[in-house]
Amino acid sequence: MLDQYLPILIFMGLAAVLGLALFTIGWFAGPRRPDAQKLSPYECGFEAFEDARMRFDVRYYLVAIIFVVFDLEIAFFFPWAVSLRETGTFGLLAMLVFALLLVVALVYDYRKGALEWD
Amino acid sequence: MITLTEVLTLSGLLFSIAVAGVFLNRKNVILLLMCIELMLLAVNFNFVAFSRFLGDINGQIFVFFILTVAAAEAAIGLAILVVLFRERRSIDVEDLDSLQG
Amino acid sequence: MMFETLLFFAFSAVLVGAAFGVILARNPVYSALLLVLCFFNSAVIWLMLDAEFLGIVLVLVYVGAVMVLFLFVVMMLDVNLEELRKGLAGYWPIAAVVAGLMVFAILDVVVVKHLGGVSLGAAPPLPADYSNTRVLGEALFTRYAYPAQIAAVILLVASIAAIVLTLRHRPGVKPQNVGEQVRVSAKDRVRLVKMAPEKRP
Repeated sequence: MLDQYLPILIFMGLAAVLGLALFTIGWFAGPRRPDAQKLSPYECGFEAFEDARMRFDVRYYLVAIIFVVFDLEIAFFFPWAVSLRETGTFGLLAMLVFALLLVVALVYDYRKGALEWD
Repeated sequence: MITLTEVLTLSGLLFSIAVAGVFLNRKNVILLLMCIELMLLAVNFNFVAFSRFLGDINGQIFVFFILTVAAAEAAIGLAILVVLFRERRSIDVEDLDSLQG
Repeated sequence: MMFETLLFFAFSAVLVGAAFGVILARNPVYSALLLVLCFFNSAVIWLMLDAEFLGIVLVLVYVGAVMVLFLFVVMMLDVNLEELRKGLAGYWPIAAVVAGLMVFAILDVVVVKHLGGVSLGAAPPLPADYSNTRVLGEALFTRYAYPAQIAAVILLVASIAAIVLTLRHRPGVKPQNVGEQVRVSAKDRVRLVKMAPEKRP
């Protein structure tokens, strides 16, 4: 079974080699003559006004949480779909209740306006 | 072939690193949550390894539920953290002492 | 077979290194990214333990969603990091002692005593048409159907809790409502008034 994943392993190895190679080539081949002016933060000729790490809005976080919940729902759907022939009507009903519970979550999100961006 | 001993040793190492992390980052709640995720990962390693070596799928079902509950826990924990930061402007554990008697 | 063992050790080494990075990094953003690396390596090792579905769920849910959540929160709170680091440097001896004792205890049980003599040498061979996802689904939606419903309830609670805790409707914003804009017609906006002609004074 594991030999089916060999292409992915080769891909991972290639990605690592390529990333490291580009870094080392840039490190050795590029000219590096740093001085105080070049290393100072630059913001259109001014001193930097604020930290480069900008604060994120809390609304991104809300979208991410809703994504986590429905991502997990999808993760439950995969084994159900693959084994539906074995689990039969009972599996179908079990998934129906499961999905209905998450539809309640979706309706709640929608009614509370959590899916709106304003 | 991977042996059970190797996997269990790896998971033990991982868990101990996470415990050390709880000591080292005692003040930062975000890092404490990350250490808890690491501990849960180590525990899941044990479940997966035993499930494979005993030939019993129930261990993997358990891991699936742990993953679900841990994701929900992370979501709610971080939501509480956001509210806490809004109230206190700090995520230091030592500032959370207003409930002491 | 030798190759597989080699791979296991390579991924384990990266995993342990990344875990050390998580707890020692100065910046929480680096911690979060190294935790992503931990999850990736764990997923590969779970694949090698024939838990394909869980490995992919780990990448899909943890790397794809939960760690993004952590990164958002780290970037949302501009915490004074020096303040949090202050006075923690002195704690590394106790951390090392506790972690060392735990490693010692675990190794004692696992390596020295071999789990009290249980012989679990080689993993049982899998049948030729073995599908990890199908076997998991069969158990999950028959014997474990009720726990699966409880998992759905937990997800429902998580989503409601997150909204109750973090959703704020800010007053004073004037959002654009495209539907209303499209539905507008000339007669809602312009009123034609009939009036008698007037003579210039």
